[in-house]
Amino acid sequence: MDMDIELYLRPPEMEKPAYPPKVITLATGKPMVVRQVDRDAVPILLQAVKPTLDIERDYYDIVGARVYAELLGWYRYRVRDEFCLIGQIEGLLVGIVNTRSYSPNVDISLHTLAIERGLRIGAHLFAAKMEYSIEYLGRDEVLITAESPIGFRRWMIEYGLEQRDGQHELGGATPYALTRDLYFRNKDRLVAGERPVPPELMEVAEREIIVASEDDILEKILGAKRREIQ
Amino acid sequence: MKTITAYKCKECGHVMYPHHYRCLNCNGREFKKISPTTKGRLLTFTIVDQLPWGIDERGRVLGVVEFDNGVKALGVIKAANPRIGMRLRAGWKPVRVIAGEEVYGLTFRKTK
Amino acid sequence: MRPVVVAGVGMIPFGRRDEDSLVDMLAMAGWNAMEDTDLGDRSIDAVYVGNMASGLFNHQESVASALVDRLNLMPAAAERIENGPASGGSAVKNGFLGVASGYYDIVLVVGGEKMRELIGPKATDVVACMTHPEAEYIYGVTLPALAGMFARLYMEKYDITQEHLAMVAIKNQENGLLNPYAHIQMKITMEGILTHPQSHINSPIVADPLRLYDCCPVSDGAAAVLLTTKEIAQKLKKPIVTIAGVGQATDTHTLQERSDPTDLKAVRIASQQAFKMAGLKPKDIHVAELHDAFTILEIAESEHAGFFPKGKGAKALADGETHIDGRLPINPSGGLKARGHPVGATGVAQIAELVWQLRGEASERQVKNASNGFSVNFGGFGNNVLAFVLRREA
Repeated sequence: MDMDIELYLRPPEMEKPAYPPKVITLATGKPMVVRQVDRDAVPILLQAVKPTLDIERDYYDIVGARVYAELLGWYRYRVRDEFCLIGQIEGLLVGIVNTRSYSPNVDISLHTLAIERGLRIGAHLFAAKMEYSIEYLGRDEVLITAESPIGFRRWMIEYGLEQRDGQHELGGATPYALTRDLYFRNKDRLVAGERPVPPELMEVAEREIIVASEDDILEKILGAKRREIQ
Repeated sequence: MKTITAYKCKECGHVMYPHHYRCLNCNGREFKKISPTTKGRLLTFTIVDQLPWGIDERGRVLGVVEFDNGVKALGVIKAANPRIGMRLRAGWKPVRVIAGEEVYGLTFRKTK
Repeated sequence: MRPVVVAGVGMIPFGRRDEDSLVDMLAMAGWNAMEDTDLGDRSIDAVYVGNMASGLFNHQESVASALVDRLNLMPAAAERIENGPASGGSAVKNGFLGVASGYYDIVLVVGGEKMRELIGPKATDVVACMTHPEAEYIYGVTLPALAGMFARLYMEKYDITQEHLAMVAIKNQENGLLNPYAHIQMKITMEGILTHPQSHINSPIVADPLRLYDCCPVSDGAAAVLLTTKEIAQKLKKPIVTIAGVGQATDTHTLQERSDPTDLKAVRIASQQAFKMAGLKPKDIHVAELHDAFTILEIAESEHAGFFPKGKGAKALADGETHIDGRLPINPSGGLKARGHPVGATGVAQIAELVWQLRGEASERQVKNASNGFSVNFGGFGNNVLAFVLRREA
């Protein structure tokens, strides 16, 4: 690799304080560790994202395709100031969220991909990345859009987001903003998590990001197994 | 002030709201139209966070109020810290938009 | 009136069924019930479909006529029966009357609903159409809101706690794990939904004091039962289960006009009617399917049906009496909470579950030695209730 040329191709990077990991107790009583990952995690994450490319339901295919590009682009130093948080239950990867820092004042929320369903994992991870942007990175607002009605309900309706003019970088869609004010007004109701993460849980989470098999991922997202009866 | 129309049975005096063609107490057929008194007390309430389509107010408090003259009705409770038994005063305000038009109904505020 | 046997039972898994139309679901469940029995050369005389809102949810009407066509049951008589969340129970009642009266020999009853075509708040609004247009609907009343107002009073009157409500949810979701037809297949814990300081984020308020896990899910699905005479049913090599008692009662439309808002009068009257007709008492029942659209209702109905004195239902639950291995298992299927609640399907699904239980065909969730079963199907918010007693004969 010619590093001189490479430096032209890589976008500049902003310094960012790290996201302090937290643990959330889910409705099943199981703990989910929410932590930031670095580029080196991307190849494993892509394994989990790949099966979603064929799932039309709930727009998983377009979310999966875009997340795949965003993570791969980040990995190859072709996406500017992206960060990625993941959720793990006993090491098993259950969700991925990512965002790009546009400026010291504005973050652009990219995607929320939940692999385990029915436990508000997407909602918890979305809240976590908003927590990062507003409370730890000090942004004034985060621009958000939704590809699926579920996202629209969980974010635009649930948080009461404000519509903005202009275009969100995801396909030019209508941007909605989570301001600092909206975030703090909704925080008690929507942002969960305890810190620090107990060492034994953290150790399991950091030791390995376990990705379920493609069949398992399809079943988790589509709930396919019980169709076997009729 | 505009308000709901309640019905008092001419036979037995039973008070009803909403309208019935026969008295719920004695099956009488004749009623006197009455208005609720201005004040009443809160019998029960709930705080609605999961809204139906067409309502935007998360956390709207709905409650059943028993007016001093026996009329019972449901309405929007606009009182911080609602408590069963609290005294309320009725108002008449828009409570919902249906087919593009504002619909008016009972709203209640705390009173002495 | 002649005895009525539930000779065939069928169901499809409840849940999210994007790929299946309403009539498809009705047909699948109906077909399963037909396959579960042996009618020989005989044909079905009538079809009753329990469904609350095919017009508003699916932009379709006259679905009973459509179903007859789909299953090629012509020229059978057919009607759709509507009674809110008790549409299924009402359809069963009408089917029962058809056979008991001697007018029909074989009746197929199918209950079904396809609710998930609409986004959540819209589905909530459709269900809210049951409320009084002038005195309730305009205020944004939802069924959970009515349940919340009822729960507040009932909990205060009888010292029922949020823990008690959570116990219903936890019990029924555990039962759901044993039921392959159940919508919700997930074990939850008291810590996760209630006692953890942040559990309100997992289980947010829906209509205070009711939270997410106090409310049944929004489901698609269908269930069917085939009703016939003892003579025709004799050919089956399965235990004969009859509908021994049927009761139905109504109450005021609005919650505020109930003479005592904590008194589920219609549940009590309907239950008494069903027991009287069957010649049985609550203590004779071995398994019950109650209408737990909201956790508070399972406790309240268990009392109003006569299983526990008023105010003692919560303690019985806490003592494990209504667990699947307890003295009186309630909702071994997972109830509405876990099995799901496609509104029109529920009343029929309750009967289907009882038949499986009384036949000994409930596999992992089998209640031991069950020969008498009971169900309550709660329409509106308790203003139109059906109750059934089922009995295994010999």
